[in-house]
Amino acid sequence: MKVDRRSFLGLGIGAVAGIAVSPVGAKLTDDFSIWTQNWPWTPVPPDGEISYDRSVCNLCPGTCGITVRKIDGRPVKIEGLDTYPVNDGGVCLHGIAGLQYLYDPSRVKTPLKKVNQRFVPISWDEALAMVTGRLKQLQEDQNPEALACITGSGQGSVPGLFNHFMAAFGSPNCLTMPDLESWLVLTATTLHGPKQTLGFDIDHSDHILSFGAGLIDGWGSPVACIQAVAGRKQREATLVQIEPRLSNTAAGADRWIPINPGTEADLAMGMCGFLLKENLFDPVFAQGFKGGFMRFTAMVQKEYPLDKVAAVTGVSAADIQKTATAFAKAKMPVALPGKGRGEGAQSLKEFAAVHTLNCLTGNINKKGGAFVKPLPDYLSFPDPVLDDVAQKGAAAEPLAASAQALVARIDQSDQSPVEVLFVYNANPCFALNDPSRVAAAFEKIPFKVCVSPFMDETAMASDVILPVSTFLEQMEDVPSRGGLAASVVGLARPMVKPVFDTRSPGDVVIAVAGSLGGGVAQSFPWKNYEDCLKQVAGKIWNPLTRKGHVIVSGRPPAGSVETDFGFLAENPDTLKPAGDQEFTLIPIDNFRVPPTVPAPSPFAIKTVSDRILKGTDMFVEINPQSANHLKDGGFATLTTPAGSVRVRVHFNDGIMPGVIGMVKGLGHTLNNRYVSGKGVNINALISPTIEPGSGMDAAYGIRAGISKA
Amino acid sequence: MIHDKKAHKYGMVIDLDKCTGCGTCAVSCMSENNVPFKEDESDKKDSITWMRVYRLTNGRPFPDTEVVYMPRPCQHCGGKGDHGHSPCVSVCPATATDYGYDTGIVSQIYTRCFGCRYCMAACPYHARYFNWWDPVWPEGMEKYLSPNVSPRMRGVVEKCSFCYHRYQLAREKAYVNGSGEVPEEDYQTACTTACPAGAIVFGDLNNPSHKVHQIVKPDPHPDPLNPDVVGKSRNPRVFRLLERLGTNPKVYYMSEREWVRKMGDHYLDGEWDKVKNVYGSASHE
Amino acid sequence: MSEIENKTEHGSMDGATAGTAEDPKNDTGLGLGVIFFIVAFLICFLSGWLLFPKLLYSKHEQPFNFDHVLHVEETGDCESCHYLRDDGTFSGIPKLASCLDCHTDEPMGETVDEAVFAAEYVAKEKEIPWYVYARQPDCVYFSHAAHTEAAGMDCKTCHGPIDETRTSRPYEENRLTGYSRDIWGKNIWGIKKNPWDSMKMDDCAKCHVQETGHKGYCFQCHK
Repeated sequence: MKVDRRSFLGLGIGAVAGIAVSPVGAKLTDDFSIWTQNWPWTPVPPDGEISYDRSVCNLCPGTCGITVRKIDGRPVKIEGLDTYPVNDGGVCLHGIAGLQYLYDPSRVKTPLKKVNQRFVPISWDEALAMVTGRLKQLQEDQNPEALACITGSGQGSVPGLFNHFMAAFGSPNCLTMPDLESWLVLTATTLHGPKQTLGFDIDHSDHILSFGAGLIDGWGSPVACIQAVAGRKQREATLVQIEPRLSNTAAGADRWIPINPGTEADLAMGMCGFLLKENLFDPVFAQGFKGGFMRFTAMVQKEYPLDKVAAVTGVSAADIQKTATAFAKAKMPVALPGKGRGEGAQSLKEFAAVHTLNCLTGNINKKGGAFVKPLPDYLSFPDPVLDDVAQKGAAAEPLAASAQALVARIDQSDQSPVEVLFVYNANPCFALNDPSRVAAAFEKIPFKVCVSPFMDETAMASDVILPVSTFLEQMEDVPSRGGLAASVVGLARPMVKPVFDTRSPGDVVIAVAGSLGGGVAQSFPWKNYEDCLKQVAGKIWNPLTRKGHVIVSGRPPAGSVETDFGFLAENPDTLKPAGDQEFTLIPIDNFRVPPTVPAPSPFAIKTVSDRILKGTDMFVEINPQSANHLKDGGFATLTTPAGSVRVRVHFNDGIMPGVIGMVKGLGHTLNNRYVSGKGVNINALISPTIEPGSGMDAAYGIRAGISKA
Repeated sequence: MIHDKKAHKYGMVIDLDKCTGCGTCAVSCMSENNVPFKEDESDKKDSITWMRVYRLTNGRPFPDTEVVYMPRPCQHCGGKGDHGHSPCVSVCPATATDYGYDTGIVSQIYTRCFGCRYCMAACPYHARYFNWWDPVWPEGMEKYLSPNVSPRMRGVVEKCSFCYHRYQLAREKAYVNGSGEVPEEDYQTACTTACPAGAIVFGDLNNPSHKVHQIVKPDPHPDPLNPDVVGKSRNPRVFRLLERLGTNPKVYYMSEREWVRKMGDHYLDGEWDKVKNVYGSASHE
Repeated sequence: MSEIENKTEHGSMDGATAGTAEDPKNDTGLGLGVIFFIVAFLICFLSGWLLFPKLLYSKHEQPFNFDHVLHVEETGDCESCHYLRDDGTFSGIPKLASCLDCHTDEPMGETVDEAVFAAEYVAKEKEIPWYVYARQPDCVYFSHAAHTEAAGMDCKTCHGPIDETRTSRPYEENRLTGYSRDIWGKNIWGIKKNPWDSMKMDDCAKCHVQETGHKGYCFQCHK
């Protein structure tokens, strides 16, 4: 027998038949179908025990209590904490996206120093030594006041430590970015006296007259405001919104009063004049009026008669009368200042004029009204130990009253009066008007230290970056602010060990102080930040750690309030948008886009409408009635005295004709692919103008021209 | 044996007068359900947002313009007559999506889906999203992913599940407690708990003690004018999207404003006036 | 001219095969083919049955041996270590902290396994990387509470009599799928004698139909 074709066939068919009848076929089919589903790059999140931990979010002045769900100690979801007095279980999209901020690989992972325009990782020891070295140099030169510091907020123990450091070192140049709280403090100081701030009891008010305050667009403590507005119908409260554009707040209000941009102060003054003329003010509260009240009354009725105000603002005299009367006759009225989120460039005249309406109705320190509250004093820092050099420096004249004014001063000087700059929890190279001028001014400063978790624009302009932990990785006191009626202090606790080589900012300040020696070191008698917090917050430490929060005051403040009309009686000029072009460009505060720090998370950017951002193109809003040759969706060139930019046009009936709106908070240039290079930073199109009397930048909008690109 | 034999019908009512358009519901959903994100999410045709917030306007010129925001999750349609033949379920060739008669929730099983996208074509609400690309989480971010929801691979469709994993966990708790019944507060979707304005109310439409039932007052009988429609609300402020199609969605919307209620469907001239005052029948319970 | 050519020139091809294997006189039909068929069939069939499982599965030993009989004696029943938490979730394979309720880094017995445990894991505070026989794909959601509490089932029904074992059997991993051999079943044919012999979707579905009258809705078992 020979092995031939049939044998092979037999072999082959036998093999196939054998395999077919064996379990191989079925098993391999089953296995391959599972194998096709095994995609190793699709993560399989590990399971584990569910636990809940509580903390306080510190991303914005909202200070909402949060609960963090963890799986085997790994945080997976952030939600609102039901038992926290500020937010009652509510939370906003940015707080929820906190986990994205926590694990963002573009965070600064170790201290960095700038070498030839690039950043090089260094150790903490080297970084701190660099900083201490520079500071010691200032001490030796007997020029401690050449140290300046910009922090995001003025409240809490960490800004407190920075303040304490500046005092001990001998420099008066500690500034905060212009957040709503800083404007409210300035207003309270101007009208009622130092060391006070304002709160607004909108939860109980039956008539809210908002001068552009974006109650559901991010003003104040956003979640608390949203809850107050949502609960309005149940308590039969009215919300009247005065602004040039139909914001979400205006859309949800009971009445929207469109007004020419930049004339809100004039309207408020006109209403004050009307209330005084018609005797619609509270005589009892008026007994506390002093310092130029008669002058103010005479001035305001002469300079702000209704017909003149109507012409300037675009609101008819009849509407002004109707609005003012309804406001004054309400049982618990409150007027709210602060356009949009109330931060950035605003106007002291406007804040003061609007708050004067509250003073005239006398609904001050009463339920549903405005509260004139003392600044939180739950912290007690020891007196700084000053040597002669430090004492002289601390007594020097501050270089400027605001961050923007400081930038202006450096810009105008050949040699920068600031030699060392600390920036903490702030991004002035993005968030101040005319960021390129800010960057140029920073260039003149020989040594800049940025204390930040993220490589934002200010960090990129710095010489040393000291990376700090996010709110989820550290313990910190979180005092409520931003116009909240109650005063609550919460305790943010670490939900997870620091992901990268970061430290808490308090520890950074204490370490620098310690290594300086001398009086500065003596002023910082704590070994670390936790030790410091326990001591300086000693008054409330026990209940704070036990409950996670302390209600420092929930009721209207007691005691009488005096109101000084000196500032307004002088009738400071209302700063109108600069320039002479046809349109007025105003910023739009969109709740989904944070305006300062931190930059939007990938989740937040995802929610931004494609009529605001498309690819990297930014849209501006314009009323079709004033669109001229522009096409909806088409490209255009937007020009202001500060610059020119290519944008796309979005027709919106809800914006006043003649006004162009652009969302604030986009146009970042960070090293984060999800956020960077998208849109335009509106601050680059607005030239700052310092308001006389406040020293703050009041350039909220600017005149602009737009033409087809 | 503990066995919950009741047929639940989980649904929600969204108060459009309270909705602020903040987008917190959308982000809460994305965080809860391991929804991926891309570098450029501005092409909304392929941006995956199980909960999407639409901006609607009354179309009138300044200063009479009005705006409302409408969050739109998956509507978990019951299909014509509310028999469980949702448009998407009826067309899926792989039974990757199925109607759960015990809860009324339309499931989506990623491992069965092979990405034909027939369901996306069938869904009248554009509530389904396709993974054109593999989800990529920046290095380290995969640590925040929840083990309760399976991350998807490219080529499959995903959609809102009414946070079904929360129902699964709530059921387990109920079994351990001995009752087997899930109380209203134990099963709430992520969007509901996140909404700072409290605009979303979620619960069992079949259970008279649940808030959503008390607000919506759904009529369990077919609408005499349109027998495919079941569960029409007896509350004059409440409406459903595209109700006349007979999809019988479980997401109801509420508004005091007539122009907003009119946004629920494309009404030709004269049609709105015929239906605007027709609500669920109160004649039987 | 050759003989073949001579013959074919004039007549039939009958002679063409003379002397060759295909010579009609020598043709035994399919004979060899059949033999080869049978041989190949047997070889492949037997390989498929016996050799294929050996190739398909890789064997891994657990980090050290765990004696269930001993521990059940000491601590009670399954629930001492594998319990339902208050929120209804199942604790699964105990973490090191659980072992430390009784164990320290000083071995209590004399086994090599405990010595390994004490030195490599307790002393170093390292979690033990147990191989989990019952691991299901990520798409599967299994609720222990639904089965042990609501349905009153016994652990052994799905896991087998593990409490009667003194040794941890080796973990056999399917090289293609990465899952344990226990999922399809030890028997390569997929034949199961005991309920715990295999645990694929059809096994769950069969029991569900028996006990509840319904296969179950997708979301009941998937996520």
